[in-house]
Amino acid sequence: MRLADARALLPGLVTRPADPEADLRALRQLVLWCIRFTPWSAADGDSGILLDITGCAHLHGGEEAMIDAIASRLSAFGIEARPGLADTPGAAWAVARFADGNSRIAAPGCARTALAPLPVEALRITPGTSAALRRLGLTTIGALAGIPRAALSRRFTSAEIGESVLLRLDQAFGDRDEPISPLTPPPVFLEALKFSEPLLEPGGLEMAADRMAAALATRLRAAQRGARALSLWFFRVDGTTARCDIATSQATCNASHFLRLFAERLGTVDPGFGVEAAALHATCVEPLEDRQPDLLERSRAGGDLGLLVDRLATRLGADAVFRLEPVDSHIPERAQRAVAAGLTASRQDAPPTLAPRPFRLLAPPEEVRAGAETPDGPPLFFTWRRTFHRIARAAGPERISPEWWIRDGSGDVRDYYRVEDTEGHRYWLYRAGLYGSDSNRSPRWFLHGFYG
Amino acid sequence: MPQGQSQTAPVGLAALRRRIGELERQTHALEREQPGPVLPWRFALEPLDRALPQDGLAPDGVHEAAGVRNMDAAAAAGFLAALLRRLERRDGRDIVLVCQDPAAADRFGRPYGPGWIALGHDPQRFVIARPARARDVPWIVEQGLRSACLAAVVAETGRIGFTASRRLSMAAREGHTPALLLCLDGIETASAAATRWHVTSLPGGADPFDARAFAAPRWRLDLKRCRGGKPQRRDVEWDHETGDFRMAAALAHRPAVPVADGAAEPGRAPQRLAG
Repeated sequence: MRLADARALLPGLVTRPADPEADLRALRQLVLWCIRFTPWSAADGDSGILLDITGCAHLHGGEEAMIDAIASRLSAFGIEARPGLADTPGAAWAVARFADGNSRIAAPGCARTALAPLPVEALRITPGTSAALRRLGLTTIGALAGIPRAALSRRFTSAEIGESVLLRLDQAFGDRDEPISPLTPPPVFLEALKFSEPLLEPGGLEMAADRMAAALATRLRAAQRGARALSLWFFRVDGTTARCDIATSQATCNASHFLRLFAERLGTVDPGFGVEAAALHATCVEPLEDRQPDLLERSRAGGDLGLLVDRLATRLGADAVFRLEPVDSHIPERAQRAVAAGLTASRQDAPPTLAPRPFRLLAPPEEVRAGAETPDGPPLFFTWRRTFHRIARAAGPERISPEWWIRDGSGDVRDYYRVEDTEGHRYWLYRAGLYGSDSNRSPRWFLHGFYG
Repeated sequence: MPQGQSQTAPVGLAALRRRIGELERQTHALEREQPGPVLPWRFALEPLDRALPQDGLAPDGVHEAAGVRNMDAAAAAGFLAALLRRLERRDGRDIVLVCQDPAAADRFGRPYGPGWIALGHDPQRFVIARPARARDVPWIVEQGLRSACLAAVVAETGRIGFTASRRLSMAAREGHTPALLLCLDGIETASAAATRWHVTSLPGGADPFDARAFAAPRWRLDLKRCRGGKPQRRDVEWDHETGDFRMAAALAHRPAVPVADGAAEPGRAPQRLAG
């Protein structure tokens, strides 16, 4: 049925575009969740999950109870699931999709009898093949299984179709092996050490961190992963724990990098009555790209900028180390923003400005007392922080209007002047507001920046 | 020959010092012969460069600048920006670590990217560290210098003692990275820096195209301390378009005579101290 036809039948029909990739991702997540029932779980096509529950059913109160538990938990997620259980993946596939409610579980060794009444479509064969079988009068698996193998393959036009039917039949009955390759959960990068004697010396803690970092780095490198965040735990004998966290600006699997960052924090760890165990956990792991060093990139040879940034950020706080990035805004204080220093962001071109900007900006601008010859003329003098400055040169005004189109964009029109006082100091002053626009308020002067 | 001299010299502290000095000079000379990672760092002004050892600023040294009067700190910062512009590295290091003192932001603002673009810099190459405590500043500078991956370290510092200053000098030599320190507390008595400049801003000339606008900044540079060079005083202008220094030619209120080396004229000293 086409969408238009469906809409004609049911005007209130809610539709969503199909997103097969998102469905697959969700299915993968569901497979990971199913690891709670059995470690041997895998996605089956785009709509099924195969669980090998060999040796797991008794943990959930038997096969019946386990099937019910899986179905009820999935329905709690809002997922309608049809569970089925049989000796082989093929038979389970068939009973899950085609058996009625009471015969969802095929007893051990009874795959043939359980599958016999099911239609041939339950064999995981293509629609064309099943149609061909139906034309031959073979509607159920039982009818199909009763025919001698050699005679069956002769009835098809091509040997491949006959072979595929026989393969599916053998897989369903367990005559041919069908392995499940489980979807392994993402590995947890954690190293732990237990000490025979509690550690009391800070030097011991350092050695423990050293050993765990080396082991973790080896594992990360083997998996081509790099850590972005690490937690180092120390478990004291009295049941308390001490923890240090570090973060790196770029994924790395360099043990000495970790250790240098932890070195800032290790000094503050109190061993207390003794540390009996320690653990190093990579809490945030990202794929590590093998970067080929640039021929001209000789700067990397001397040292690592990422390491420097991380060391500074570890001691000063992540917000205290940053880069400036231009922002396309006319309001001077909005024309730049701080971005994380570690990111090698794409270089942005700064929007051109009309007049040269000061290289130091006061944030926020400070109000000054200023005087001008004419009300809307350049300033003649100003007093900032109780110091009087007589102005020798004043260029301007450069009028900057508020950005009314954004939130908090309202404000006064500013007339900026680049001024030099008689001592040669250069300032960036502005007059906020216009004369005559508001009879109650006269414009005010602000100092906003300094030129060299 | 130096070795013969030291053998015959009387054994004593002075002789030992002299001997160490000779050894250091020899190793420095050896280092200088090798092609360094930095092109000569010069003012391109004959009288200033001649006064410096190696005919230029040491690319692996600590250089300090301080404003003489209160508001001259901005001029000193501008002078350091000019020095940074003249530094050309051959080894591909292009990131500059800028360390801000928490007190400086209150006094004369924080680095503003669009303004640095106007001075000919690329502010996206700056990594800015803004510590909450002033006592972290020397640590940050030292880390930056020792990391050996930066083009230069620019920092605003309060009072740092001689020991810390010596530490920074050694870190700069180790990492082949220069440090440009803006001393906010003005005149420090003891310092191990390679050069130390006192900057006074002078009234500048007018923009030739707009008589009301100011033109190139004009500074009085007072080279107070210079290891291996001689202190002197010059009035210079800096053109941010070309990045060149030039001698300040036409002064606003007196004839254009360059100030003689080291000769403090009696009439000028009180003027410098005023304010």
